[in-house]
Amino acid sequence: MTLAWREVRRARLRFGLLAGAVGLLIFLVLFVQGLTDDLVTQFVGAVRNQDAPVLVYGADARRNLEGSQITPAQAAAVARVPGVAESGPLGEGTFTMRAGGALVDAVLIGVDAGGPGLPATLVAGRLPEADGEAVASDRDRGDGFDVGDVVRVEPGGAPIRIVGRARDINYSVSPTLFTTFPTYEAARRIRNPDARAVNPSAIAVRPEAGVDPAALAARIDDEVEGVEALTRQQAADEAPGVSAVQQSFTVVNLLFYIAIPLVTGLFFIIVTLQKAGALTLLRAIGAPASVLVRALLVQVGGVLAAGAALAVVLLVAADALLGATGASVGVDLSARTVVVTLVIVVVLSLLTALAAVRRILAIDPIRATTGAGVSA
Amino acid sequence: MSAALDLEDVRKVYRAGEGEVVALSHATLQVGEDEIVALLGPSGSGKTTLLSIAGGLLAATAGRVLVGGRDISGATPGELTRFRREQVGFVFQAVNLVPFLTARENLLVVDEIGGRRKGPESRARADRLLEELGLAHRAGNLPGQLSGGERQRVAIGRALMNEPRLVLVDEPTSALDTRTGTQVMELIRTEVKGRGTAAVIVTHDTRMTRWADRTLHIDDGVLSAVPAAGPEGGDAEA
Repeated sequence: MTLAWREVRRARLRFGLLAGAVGLLIFLVLFVQGLTDDLVTQFVGAVRNQDAPVLVYGADARRNLEGSQITPAQAAAVARVPGVAESGPLGEGTFTMRAGGALVDAVLIGVDAGGPGLPATLVAGRLPEADGEAVASDRDRGDGFDVGDVVRVEPGGAPIRIVGRARDINYSVSPTLFTTFPTYEAARRIRNPDARAVNPSAIAVRPEAGVDPAALAARIDDEVEGVEALTRQQAADEAPGVSAVQQSFTVVNLLFYIAIPLVTGLFFIIVTLQKAGALTLLRAIGAPASVLVRALLVQVGGVLAAGAALAVVLLVAADALLGATGASVGVDLSARTVVVTLVIVVVLSLLTALAAVRRILAIDPIRATTGAGVSA
Repeated sequence: MSAALDLEDVRKVYRAGEGEVVALSHATLQVGEDEIVALLGPSGSGKTTLLSIAGGLLAATAGRVLVGGRDISGATPGELTRFRREQVGFVFQAVNLVPFLTARENLLVVDEIGGRRKGPESRARADRLLEELGLAHRAGNLPGQLSGGERQRVAIGRALMNEPRLVLVDEPTSALDTRTGTQVMELIRTEVKGRGTAAVIVTHDTRMTRWADRTLHIDDGVLSAVPAAGPEGGDAEA
C-alpha cells in the first residue's frame, strides 16, 4: 500500500466526504446535461431523426415549423435546384387526438409515403405506406400510441392506425406521429374545413449522391425566393427555444464545472497545508518531491474515481426513479457525454490540484530542523 | 578507511540586510567510523546549522563536507536528496514521525520513498528494528497513540532503517523527562555503537554528553573541544 493510500485509509471520513461531494456535483452535472439532452430531444427529435438531410422552411418562419409555410411554386422551385435528388412536402401541426381513451394534444407530421422526411429510427413495426397509417414515438407507446393502436383527430377525424414505433421522434415535447401527407391534410381540414389548399410547412430534400447537404442548402437559398434551407443538424440545433434551453442549462452546468475543481483543489491545498510537517520530514529524510507529488495525484485520482462511480450510481437511480414516477422528462445521456464530462472534470480538478503540487514543490527540507512546514 | 564525517574549514554565512550573520565559522571536524560526538551549545550557537550542513539539508557557504569520503559540497539538490535517503539517518527535534503512518510504516516509508530494500526484506528489517527498540507491540500504533519516549524510539529506528554511515540527532531529549531522556540516549548509543555507525548528537543538556565519545562546544558558530568523560570513563579528544 502506498503512502497515498495509507493516508486515505487513516482519514477515511475526510476523503469519503470529499468523494461524496465530488460525486454529488458530478451527478448534478450529468443529470442537468441528461435532462437538457432529453428536453432538446423531445423538442426537436422529429427533426433530428427524420431522414431528409435538408429541410426548407419559409423565410419568415424563423426556423419554426409551426409558423412555416411553403407555396406550391416554392416547392416546385426547390425540386428544380441542381443537386436535389428528391423532395417532398412536410406538414406539421398540433391536434387534439383521442388516444388510449383520452384526449391528448399530439403533433402530426405528414410526409410522402416512401419520400424524404420519414423517421430514421424505427424500432418496431414499419413505416406508413398508406393513408391512415402512422409511426408513433416509442416514448409514447404506453399512452395509446403503440403498434396496433388506433387514434383519431378530434372532432370526428378518420382513424389513424399506428403501424410502427421510432425512437426519439417527438416534437415540441408532445406525442408525435409521422403519417402520410394526405392524412395530415385531412387533419388540417377538420380544423379549417374551408381551406382551399393545405400547404406543407417545409420541404424535405434528399441530395443527389455526393452532394454536400450544407452546400445544397446554400444553393437552394440562393436560387429560391422566400425560403430558408437548413441542414438537418442546423434545423434541430437552431430551432426556436432549443438554443435558449441549451444556453440556460449550459450556464447552470458551467457553475457546477467550476465548483468541482474548486472543491477538489481547495481540499487538497488544505490537506497539504495540514500535513506540511510530515511532508517536510519526508523531504528531509530523502523523499524526492516527485514521490510526494505522485502521492497527491494518486489521491486526487482516487477521489475523482470514487466520485465518478458515485455519480453514475446516483444517475442510474435517478433515471429509474423518474421512469417509475412516469415523469415526462428523463435522463438522456450517451456514453460519450458521460466520458467527455468526466474527462473535463478530471482535467479541471488536476489543474486546480496544481496549487497543492506547487506547495509541495515549495517545501524546503531544512525546515524539518525548525519544525516549520512548507513556505507560503 | 575514511572518516564518517569530515568538515574542512566550513563556513555558513547568512545575508542580513547590508551585513551578514556568520552561523558557522571555519568549522573543522572529523568524526570516526563508529564515533559518537556530542555537540553542545546554547540556542542560536550554530549547532543545528552544522548538523544540517553535515546532513545535506543546507549548503555551506565555503569549505568541504565529506560524508563517508564522499564530497557533498557541490552536490545538486537532487543528489543531496538521494544522499540523505541513502547515507544519513536523522532524528529531528520537532517533527519526527509522519502522523498518519503507524510506527512500522514510519520505518517502511524510508524504503518506499526510494530506498534500497523492497517488500519482504524491508518489512523484515523494520520488524527487527522495532523488536530491538522494544516497540514490537506498538508496531501498529499511530504516533498519536505513543508516548514521547516511544516516538523518539521509533524515530531512532527510522534513522537506522537505511543503514546509514552517519546518524544526525538534533536535541533528542528536549521534549522528554530526565528518565526517559536517559533511556533514549542509552538506546541511541547502544544502537549506533552496535552497528559501528557514527553519530553527531546536538544538545544543550550537558548531562546527555556522557553518552558521547567526544564532546564539542559551539558558540557563535565557532567550534571548540570540551574535555568530557564518556560512558566508559575515557576522555573525549579535542
